Amino acid sequence: MERNQMHTQVANTRKSLFDQGYLDDQFIQLEELQDSSNPNFVEEVVTLYYRDSARFLSNLDQALEKRPLDFSKLDNLMHQFKGSSTSIGAKKVKTECTHFRNYCSARNAEGCKRTFQNVKKEYTTLRKKLEAYFQMSRQVGPVETACQAR
Amino acid sequence: MTVEEFGGSVGVSNEIDRFPIGMRVLAVDDDPTCLKLLDCLLRKCQYQVTTTNQARTALNMLRENRNRFDLVISDVHMPDMDGFKLLELVGLEMDLPVIMLSGNSDPKLVMKGITHGACDYLVKPVRLEELRNIWQHVIRRKVESKSQSKSNNNQEKPNHEGGQEAGSGDPNGKVNRKRKDEDFEDFEDNGNEDDDPSTQKKPRVVWSIDLHRKFVAAVNQLGIEKAVPKRILDLMNVEGLTRENVASHLQKYRLYLKRISQQANMVVAFGGSKDVSSYMRMSSLGGLGDFHSLSGSGRLPNAQLSSYSSSGMLGRLNSATGMTLHSLTAPTLIQPTHTQNLTGSVSSLNKFQPVVLPTPPNHQPTNLFQGIPTSFDLGQLQQNNKPNTQLPDFNTIDESRFFNSSSTFPTLGSQSCLNLVSSSSTFLDVPHPMGDNFHDQLPPHSSLNYGHASSNNTITNTMTGFGSSITSTLSVPLEGQSQSQRHVQYGKQSYGQYSSNTFSALAAAASPPNGGGLGGPVSQSNDQICGVYNRSNGNGPLPMQMNKQTHKSNTKLKMGSGENYLPSGYDSLDDLMNGMMKREQDPMIVMDGEFGFDPYSFGSCI
Repeated sequence: MERNQMHTQVANTRKSLFDQGYLDDQFIQLEELQDSSNPNFVEEVVTLYYRDSARFLSNLDQALEKRPLDFSKLDNLMHQFKGSSTSIGAKKVKTECTHFRNYCSARNAEGCKRTFQNVKKEYTTLRKKLEAYFQMSRQVGPVETACQAR
Repeated sequence: MTVEEFGGSVGVSNEIDRFPIGMRVLAVDDDPTCLKLLDCLLRKCQYQVTTTNQARTALNMLRENRNRFDLVISDVHMPDMDGFKLLELVGLEMDLPVIMLSGNSDPKLVMKGITHGACDYLVKPVRLEELRNIWQHVIRRKVESKSQSKSNNNQEKPNHEGGQEAGSGDPNGKVNRKRKDEDFEDFEDNGNEDDDPSTQKKPRVVWSIDLHRKFVAAVNQLGIEKAVPKRILDLMNVEGLTRENVASHLQKYRLYLKRISQQANMVVAFGGSKDVSSYMRMSSLGGLGDFHSLSGSGRLPNAQLSSYSSSGMLGRLNSATGMTLHSLTAPTLIQPTHTQNLTGSVSSLNKFQPVVLPTPPNHQPTNLFQGIPTSFDLGQLQQNNKPNTQLPDFNTIDESRFFNSSSTFPTLGSQSCLNLVSSSSTFLDVPHPMGDNFHDQLPPHSSLNYGHASSNNTITNTMTGFGSSITSTLSVPLEGQSQSQRHVQYGKQSYGQYSSNTFSALAAAASPPNGGGLGGPVSQSNDQICGVYNRSNGNGPLPMQMNKQTHKSNTKLKMGSGENYLPSGYDSLDDLMNGMMKREQDPMIVMDGEFGFDPYSFGSCI
């Protein structure tokens, strides 16, 4: 019962992540890839993402400090970061990245800096939520954390 | 068609029986998240997956054993090597299907992928369903090459073949596809018309520089329109080479030319160069059509331009466009221009300049045009400038290199050409100054391209591809060099490395003592070139030495140049063009971007 409750809780958490737009279909793809031979695939990928993308973010931070701004470089960095974010289905992060890139191509320094703050914010928020979600799932056990249906 | 049938006729490894299960895929992506995801997706499709986040590592693996993989999937955006360049190199050297992957769905990039020879272009995030279908590219490639050879066999009439072959790459492709459908039924039955039974897996032919030179010479002799695989084969007179091999190589070559001409056109468009001649050079190399426009200055021989256009079929080659054209047009031509521009010392080059300059129309066309007797130029060059002639030789070889290297460096284009051409001493001088520029610009890839030309770097590949076949053996050494060189040296180095590698490899591999001398001269030129390159990179043994060597090699090259002329021409041409262009004009930079940014441009040419 308690387990069931936990299951439900996990399912709900997961659902809310989707409903609130933090995650998109790509995350479901990740989940589908998780199976008995790859039991922690989703978490592994997400962990890898956060580890790797920290690097991008610090690079972007540095690049944004420079004067004058090197927009093409910023765009490049963001392109890569956006690619990773897309791969795990980080929807809001991806959206902010797109905004950032738009400002880059418009060479709008203020816009870039502003959206970058948004990117970081979404990134951090998502990370917290995902960490909580994974922790919860682990507690529930290796059983499917939630059905595929959203 | 059943998988089994394919398996049988294709003659691939045992996995073919269960194909697509067990298909061996090499996945390359610098982003670890994406790579891991891709790995998992591919495993889900039951493929055998190898992953790497370094393009160079991927190339090494492929070069070590080209039969180890069936398919390559590569990201476009990678720090150590541009995905397109890798694409060209792989395609040219290893003739493996390559699928591009990118987060960017910009149609221009997709187009670029296609022109560089990608079988497919997927946009991230990739879905499992998409990956389930990628095995078709492996099969398609095998079928097309078989049907191509079959069609060649079927068409005994040279003209007929020529007509078919002479068509642009597209019609050829279409023909092949149709054949594939039509002949599929006959596959098992008619397998034997080819020299090798279609059912057997034919061993891959390595298009060494020597071989490529012969090929180019034969094509030139026949004229690009009439260059039918059968005739080319007869002219080349190489044992063990099948019409099929020639046919597929010819197809690539055409694409290469096409690409070069496109690039040249682009370059020309950018042109605005202050130096008309430089323009011309560029255009001549890349866009034959543009030549005409350039020739306005009266320098470019229109004839040349036109000739290029026709030759500019190699799409792959064209990636280097600027570069490829160079090579195509005539190594000799490039040389003159290069040397002239670069070193300024080569006055004799003026003759060659025809490429750019209108010099004797007769000559020019030949130079520019692959088909056109480059030897012609060679002869002239030889007379005028030793170095020039030598360049052509190099060019053939270099071209392949160029391709490799060219792709790496965007701006290098002109420089690279120079580098290649630099076989002549004068050239070497020039490259130096340029080399510096290149360094920054050239991506290490370029060097790779050359050696690996066979498959990678579209542009360079085209060139290198041709040359790479040879280099393939060398590629190993090149690789090593290229790596170190790559970053540092770029323009110059890349070439140097490759060239030296390729050449040395080639030379070693097939250094006919004779004038066929692609091998011989090539090696020399390679050394020379490498020397040049090395210098810039620091790896190179000695740029200075190279100069000297180049001279020597140049002479040797000359011997083979008749045939080699073209091939080397390519390399050098492109390089020359790029080098020249860069140097000559700032606006060229735009072009360079064209060139440079794709390492493969050089390679792709090949």
